[in-house]
Amino acid sequence: MKSRVVILEAAAGPLYVLILAASIWVLLRGHNEPGGGFIGGLLAVSASILWAVAHGSSAAERRLPLGGAMRLAAVGVLIAGVSGLPALFLGDAYLTHLWATLPLGVTDLKISTVLLFDLGVYLCVWGALAGYALGLLSLDAGKGPPGEPR
Amino acid sequence: MTAVLAFSVFVTVTVGLYLTMSRDTFRCVIGLAVLGAAANLVLFAAGRLGSVSPAVVPVGETVLRDAANPLPQALVLTAIVIGFALLCYSLVLVLRLIRDARSDDALSLRHAEPIPDDPVKPPAAAPGCDVRWPPREGSS
Amino acid sequence: MVKSSGEPGRGPGWIERISFTALPVIGLMLVAWKLALFELPVRLSWSWVPALGIDLAFHIDGLSALMLLMITGVGTAVFVYAGGYLAGHPGQRRLYVLLSLFMVAMVGSVTADHLIVLFLFWEATSLLSFLLVGFNHERPESRKSAQQSLMVTGAGGLALLAGFILLGQAMGTYVISDIVVALPSAEATPETTAALVLILIGAFTKSAQFPFHFWLPNAMAAPTPVSAYLHSATMVKLGVYLLARLDPAFGEWPLWEWALKAAGSITAAWGMVLALRERDLKRILAWSTVATLGTLVTLVGLRGEGATVAVGALLLAHALYKAPLFFVAGNIDHGTGTRVIDRLGNLRHAMPWTAAAALLAGASMAGMPLSFGYIVKDVILDAKSAGDVFIFAKAANTIFGAVAVAVAGVAAIRVFWRHPGVNETCEAHEGGPSLFLPPLILALAGITLGIFPFFAQELIAAATGAMTPDAEAVAFSLALEFGPVLGSLLVTLAIGVGIYFLWDPLHRLFERVARLLGRIGMAAQYERVLHWIPWVAAVSTRALQNGSLPAYVALAGGTVTLLLAAALVSAWTDLALPSIDVWPGIGVFGACVLIVVGAVAACTQRSRLVLLLAAGLVGYGSGLLFLFTGAPDVAYTQFTVETVFVIVVASVLLALKRQGRATAVDERLWRPGAFVLASGFAATITALLLVATAGDFNTALSQFFADTSVPEAYGRNVVNVILVDFRALDTFGEISVVLLSFLAALPLLQALKRAHSARGES
Repeated sequence: MKSRVVILEAAAGPLYVLILAASIWVLLRGHNEPGGGFIGGLLAVSASILWAVAHGSSAAERRLPLGGAMRLAAVGVLIAGVSGLPALFLGDAYLTHLWATLPLGVTDLKISTVLLFDLGVYLCVWGALAGYALGLLSLDAGKGPPGEPR
Repeated sequence: MTAVLAFSVFVTVTVGLYLTMSRDTFRCVIGLAVLGAAANLVLFAAGRLGSVSPAVVPVGETVLRDAANPLPQALVLTAIVIGFALLCYSLVLVLRLIRDARSDDALSLRHAEPIPDDPVKPPAAAPGCDVRWPPREGSS
Repeated sequence: MVKSSGEPGRGPGWIERISFTALPVIGLMLVAWKLALFELPVRLSWSWVPALGIDLAFHIDGLSALMLLMITGVGTAVFVYAGGYLAGHPGQRRLYVLLSLFMVAMVGSVTADHLIVLFLFWEATSLLSFLLVGFNHERPESRKSAQQSLMVTGAGGLALLAGFILLGQAMGTYVISDIVVALPSAEATPETTAALVLILIGAFTKSAQFPFHFWLPNAMAAPTPVSAYLHSATMVKLGVYLLARLDPAFGEWPLWEWALKAAGSITAAWGMVLALRERDLKRILAWSTVATLGTLVTLVGLRGEGATVAVGALLLAHALYKAPLFFVAGNIDHGTGTRVIDRLGNLRHAMPWTAAAALLAGASMAGMPLSFGYIVKDVILDAKSAGDVFIFAKAANTIFGAVAVAVAGVAAIRVFWRHPGVNETCEAHEGGPSLFLPPLILALAGITLGIFPFFAQELIAAATGAMTPDAEAVAFSLALEFGPVLGSLLVTLAIGVGIYFLWDPLHRLFERVARLLGRIGMAAQYERVLHWIPWVAAVSTRALQNGSLPAYVALAGGTVTLLLAAALVSAWTDLALPSIDVWPGIGVFGACVLIVVGAVAACTQRSRLVLLLAAGLVGYGSGLLFLFTGAPDVAYTQFTVETVFVIVVASVLLALKRQGRATAVDERLWRPGAFVLASGFAATITALLLVATAGDFNTALSQFFADTSVPEAYGRNVVNVILVDFRALDTFGEISVVLLSFLAALPLLQALKRAHSARGES
């Protein structure tokens, strides 16, 4: 077993959360400021890679939501696809986006199918590219025998 | 179009194709990466380099004025992500080839296309080349 | 003759046979009814592919009606005949189905008024004739003949399609009746000339014209009902029909006229020579059919109404005598087991009805008085001497007639009355009425029309009217005359009888000539081409698909370079010259320096790690470039991707190093050939980029996005709005690609991991 950098292991936990939070922030603000699903997803991928460097790629794979890279990516494409369906019921073309405003007392929250679509992009990019990266990282023999991916 | 950018495009495309034509499969993959970067540059430059302010409408306004052309940006952005996915795919493919053929020389990858000995008849599959479907895992 | 073709079960019962036979009968009655009511021309049209302007348009005029009468009339005889000829054959049901489909395809071909629709039916007849000629598919020669006829007519069909498309594009319409009206006044352009040549090839292959004549006699491997139907009355007439249909359009073109006359005359002469060479009754008839087709094509090429009348009359007469003669040949085959004329003789006692049919049909073929053939001979003579283009018209006509007399004599008299050979099969017998009635009735029809030609008058007049639309009214009469034609008939008859008696010596002579010519004949060329096709395919495949990855890349790169460079050079005068401003901002300049340094380092360093870092430098440089040109989104994406890429590949390199594969392939760093190709490719791409950006920039699309992003899509980041809203479907497709590529890589990755962990444990 390769000796791991202790500081990295210790810092990995908070950094992982921090980077993921940043990625979600980038995703949410993407419609109005630089950012969006692609960049957010890539940031999330780098969080996963950080975890893989610190704790091994199978551990990073286990930390992915929804139980695996493939499922994450598939759910992402599914969400993006579903986000276009409501428009069909209103007689518009597929993927015509809709907006609604939820009053929350303090401020109004704008929700839209655009956000849903961007979330799908985010999840797909995160799942697929993290899957690639973790799979390739696991070939480095120093990490010990990796478990089967789910 | 600035001469400097045109020159960089020329150099990257040359290097990309030059590396891709290498016998070393790893250099091939790197060549694809450089070629992908070059393609993104071409696409981006074709949309004209004008203003340096980002394509974001300032708060309170409704129309974007005097900003960079947003369309090539959107195209290049997705191209980068897709390019990366396909680059990873070709890397995995090359690793698998290296493992199966026990060589990273592209000229020795002759499992599926052996050197023909007859001008007309197709060559027989090399021993160990599994042409059955589905392929057996862990063969060779 | 009755052979098992491996199909299970018994043949169709009589109810089934009658139902099948009802099809042509109903068609015949329908056409006759329309004709009798003078309801021609009939026009029908349905929209089919509106986007391509293709309508299911049909137009039935006199010429179509004549063809329809032959298709349904001879079809009826063929269906009845097939019932008896293949009784008990397990493939009989298949034959009925194929014949029915073929008849539908023929009906469609001769009524279609749209070039594309005509082509579809035309191809259908080619395909169905392949299946019909190869009916006895367990015999190798059957398969070979079927393949040959398909190859020849199929290749002709392709030429025809190209010609139709050229013609349709040049004329602006695909409707045949419009083209026929518009074309004579149109200028001859290279397109229409090419269309003319291609259409001629299509028609000549179908109608077995020189030099595509060789497939028809070989197609005699088909069962007799098929030969009688396809090769006397219908399919081979389709080419003649097309020529006659387009004759009003192209008729004034010298190329058309001379091509038809030349091909038709050569075919007629060659067909006669080869007919004398054969010993197989069916092949003799096939070659005489080839000769008749040649005459028909020549007649189409001749100017004047007389020729047009002759085309219609000969089409009808030939169907009425050649189909019965094919039936007769089939009966002889059925009754004796052979068709070789040396082994046959004196069959009139065993097969009296067949003999009668043969005699009547033979009389018509020989052009004896009181037969329809006599009247047609008269009309042809008029047409050829009226055309007076051919000096030898009269002589050629006499010779052709004489050979026809001789062939008729062989088919009708030699095998039934004379006894030149030993009749080896003494158990010769007559088949049932379904075998001798069809030829008898068809032959009797030919004689009836000969005695009362005014029955055919209206039909031929209608067909002539369709072929010469601008003529007011064609004044002619089919009448039984004993004028000068009788004199020429006597000459013809004398020569014909001479040939008939000298058949055997002539046969030996022509056999020797044909054997000499066989090596350079078209059939031999066809075989040669067929033999070379796989060789050429194999050699070119070896050259292009040589198994070397660098060669593939070089091939693709070289092709793209050549094509792009050719496009650039050919459009050079129209392109705006690039204006180059040398000094960009310092940020862009720095980014470009990074890119160039990275790229140069990548191809000059041997170490893989340095290679990776150099490639990373190119990526970071592009990211910087994006950052300094107002594209922060793209820049961040590029930076993140590049970082992930470098980390991942570095770890892969570590893994390779642990497996002892750290060193690169021992390959020279400097490869001049590859460098020249790569820099040529890059120069082309750069030139393309420069001239593309030098031209005026259409900002309509970008402006649309800039204007509508906030008001309509409620997003201020225009790039993101384009990605997730304006072009959302595009993005959806792209993330699907990412997902799919991962899906494809997953099994490879798992196999790598498994092999890896196995190595780790051991």
